[in-house]
Amino acid sequence: MNWTFLINQSIAQILDFAAPILFAALGGVISENAGVVNIALEGIMRFAAFFGVWGAFVSKSPWVGLLWGIGIGALLGAFHAYITVKWAGDQIVSGVAINVVAAGGIRYFLEWIFKTTGYSPNVTYFGDPARLINLKFLENIPVLGAFAHLHIFIWLSLILVFVLHFLLYHTVLGLRIRAVGEYPLAAETLGVNVLRIKWFAVILGSIIAALGGVALSLGTMSSFVETGMAAGKGFIGLAAMIFGKWTPIGAMWATFLFASAQVLQFLLQAIAKGVATKIPVGFYLALPYILTIGALIGVVGKAVAPAADGVPYKKEG
Amino acid sequence: MKEVFGRIFIHRREENWWMNLLVPITSIIIALIVGAIFIASTGRDPILAYKLMFGASGFVPGPYFKTHFAEMLLYTALFASTGLAFALPARAGLFSIGAEGQFLVGMITAAFFGFWKPLYNLPSFIHITIIFAIVILFGGLWGLIAGFLKAKKGINETIITIMLNWIAFHLIEGWLVPTGGPLAADVSTGVSGTPYVSPSARLPVILPGTRLNISILVMLLVIYLAWFLLYRTVFGYEIRAMGYTAITNMEAPKIGGVNTEKRIMQIMFMGGAIAALGGSFVVLGFLGQYPPVFEGGYGFDGIAVALIGGNEPVGILLSSMLIGGLRTGATAVQLARIPKTFPAIIEGLIVAFIALNELIRYLLSKVLLRKKEGVA
Repeated sequence: MNWTFLINQSIAQILDFAAPILFAALGGVISENAGVVNIALEGIMRFAAFFGVWGAFVSKSPWVGLLWGIGIGALLGAFHAYITVKWAGDQIVSGVAINVVAAGGIRYFLEWIFKTTGYSPNVTYFGDPARLINLKFLENIPVLGAFAHLHIFIWLSLILVFVLHFLLYHTVLGLRIRAVGEYPLAAETLGVNVLRIKWFAVILGSIIAALGGVALSLGTMSSFVETGMAAGKGFIGLAAMIFGKWTPIGAMWATFLFASAQVLQFLLQAIAKGVATKIPVGFYLALPYILTIGALIGVVGKAVAPAADGVPYKKEG
Repeated sequence: MKEVFGRIFIHRREENWWMNLLVPITSIIIALIVGAIFIASTGRDPILAYKLMFGASGFVPGPYFKTHFAEMLLYTALFASTGLAFALPARAGLFSIGAEGQFLVGMITAAFFGFWKPLYNLPSFIHITIIFAIVILFGGLWGLIAGFLKAKKGINETIITIMLNWIAFHLIEGWLVPTGGPLAADVSTGVSGTPYVSPSARLPVILPGTRLNISILVMLLVIYLAWFLLYRTVFGYEIRAMGYTAITNMEAPKIGGVNTEKRIMQIMFMGGAIAALGGSFVVLGFLGQYPPVFEGGYGFDGIAVALIGGNEPVGILLSSMLIGGLRTGATAVQLARIPKTFPAIIEGLIVAFIALNELIRYLLSKVLLRKKEGVA
């Protein structure tokens, strides 16, 4: 067996599987650091996955699809911010609203625009060999070889982790975002425009989550699949965000842990011999989730959210 | 009357208490209007769609009213179960989204003890009582996993419930139920999924000529018990106290002598038990088995139901009737060339406008209170 190839292949699979979840988790990190819970990540991903395909279908260019995805993400973020920031509405309620509309609404769109149920037609996508980011010289190096042929979203998700880390912990804007999430009144007293920061963080977070949706439909796949998008990936992202203690790098490790367990599960199924073939497939499929709970019990202590996370902020006077 | 409404729609008495009733109703109306605009903008006839949907919803008399009415109440029992499963922990400040998995656990438990030979020939009343008791136990224990980890280890209940949903789903539909699985029907019987439950385990029909069974009565009892528990017992008082101070990590009630760990575990057990009960209704009520593939979603709809109902037991009864009615009318909208998922859009819009209650309250008070002042 060619071990280098196997290792590289596995890592590439982990990265591919992780990208959408990582986007969702990062979107949540930004939003919740500014004190706005966003459980609509799932719904935003679903919307963006569909609009990405729609845009690519209309224009025959995945770049336009990407823009449409970002556009709908920004729109949904503005909607969430309008309810939760402008009118201090309940953040959970608003998020659930987006999720419910996404669940039923996208099916409606699918039947209305493509006249199909379940699938959209295939469109040009970023996973096309011609559009991959090819770094041929890495191909035969162990571990690094995994990065030889990845699509743009995987790179983007990895880069974004560090960009967001820098933004949150090494810039004034990041300090303000965190201040707004921890103690908005103090931030306001010091002259920070709390509401504007919240608007910014919610919309940015939604756009990032939307990238996760587009990564599914235009990165990994080349069409919209009704049952597969986002199929709970947004909620896993939410879990990864909490697991990673509301930090970009923590969210990344949590996502990788989950994605590795998922790929391990595929591998185990593939190489199962003898008695192992008798293990029902359900156990393999449940494994990543069981491992995640195990990791939470064993490794991670109590997760502490930003102090004012989920608390609507009303300006006085 | 004022007292009753006040208690349902807000936790403290206010001068303009009727506002708390008017706000949800206005939200529903606005959601219907926005839904109509949406249908019209995609080139279909909104009036026809609503006529079909409400005609078949079980709310308005018409052809097949009895059937629709029965179906609406069947859905009501299911949505109320998952709604309460979200709302009860929510009242204690816990964000559990585990109703989906708990519902499935209830389904598979009911299916197994429905066809299990030692119970097969019991009298119906005893058989069903035993199944309900076991379902409550198993569903409760499934919910307790997250409660235990939250109380003893401080692990976020949201993550655990998300993971448990998937674990329940994969273990049931990837191991127990598929052909060859431990609970699957024998291939020779030609049945896929679990074997059918004993006739003695089928829920008795209470409205002849329809599928309406005792599930709605059981659920009404559960809703009453939930209300009683929240507002008439020390337990409920402590739960609500924990909910009010959830943001500050439940410090205040803890200092006040509430055993928060115990309460967290108890309320999570109850949530799981109620959702599982809803799952058993599906199996014992109409499917008669755990099918090879079950199209779920009741758990997530339960969150919407709970939120529309303001996490209040009586509010949840009303909102689950509303969502139940919309679902019953769902298939009828297809006659207007509209996908049957359309009611889910309405549901989402209602939730959205519920979230915007501050805005609606503001607008309503502007319109209504000014008029009142003008008259005075």
